[in-house]
Amino acid sequence: MAKVAIAVVEQAGVDVKALVDKLVRAAGAEFTTYYYYTILRANAIGLEGEGLKEIIEDARLEDRNHFEALTPRIYELGGELPRDIRGMADVAACPDAYLPAPSDGKPPTVQSLLEVLVEAERCAIRVYTEICNMTCGKDHRTYELALAILNEEIEHEAWFSEFLGEKPSGHFRRGTPGESPYVSRFLNVPTSHR
Amino acid sequence: MMEFVRVASISEIPANSCREFAVEKRRILICAWQGRYYALSPMCPHQGNSLDGASVWDGLLDCPWHHFQFDVRTGENRYPKCVYPSDRIDLAYGVRPLRTYALEVRGNDVYVDLSEPRGGNAA
Repeated sequence: MAKVAIAVVEQAGVDVKALVDKLVRAAGAEFTTYYYYTILRANAIGLEGEGLKEIIEDARLEDRNHFEALTPRIYELGGELPRDIRGMADVAACPDAYLPAPSDGKPPTVQSLLEVLVEAERCAIRVYTEICNMTCGKDHRTYELALAILNEEIEHEAWFSEFLGEKPSGHFRRGTPGESPYVSRFLNVPTSHR
Repeated sequence: MMEFVRVASISEIPANSCREFAVEKRRILICAWQGRYYALSPMCPHQGNSLDGASVWDGLLDCPWHHFQFDVRTGENRYPKCVYPSDRIDLAYGVRPLRTYALEVRGNDVYVDLSEPRGGNAA
């Protein structure tokens, strides 16, 4: 716990308890999303699925990075992660990203996978927009972190949205899987050093 | 027979957000969106958490706890119901619609008819 760091955030007018609660929920969502995306990636099969697999993998690894980057900030602010993994899943800020049901006995369609993926990213965008709004100009460290994560979540949404045929994403692709171009500087071991 | 009761002043409900109020020993959620007001049941069916403080994005009430989304006009769940697997009927309980109530704005006050909720089965 960082006493002065907490005090300056409180003095800036942030409800630190409420902020920590949001950060824990966000971390829970990242952790559960990493799990569910693992299943979704495994089920991205066939000609269409193979094309989708790469961006699911980038989003999956980057969501894990988001969890890793959030965790130290939670403890710095005097919070902690739930001691029970089930509790962690229960408080997650976004709904579980379930694998869609089989279609006529066949694996889920790529379209149905994409709809799960894009909605999960949209939820994440709302989560980090709230945290940014709460900390902007007040808690610089959390704001920078949340903004970095938000940048990546927005890119994830755009990738999946593009696959759905909504609009071009304007950007593709990562230099290495799960590169986290915005968040890597917050990681204890930056992705470029692995 | 409709029985409207005063619930709040419109100044108590910021734009594009929801506030929970107590009236006649009951709880009611009032949401403001694009200059209109909507009355709904105040608990998210997912885990029974209060929807007080929820934001409204594009007509969708966004639960502050887990970001379940409900149409402020109808109470219907829009997310995650739309992506829940159809073979997981156990998940249906958490995405039940919110109840909605008739609402009138009289002057600067919001009045709600608590006698006849429409749809939904969340408390």
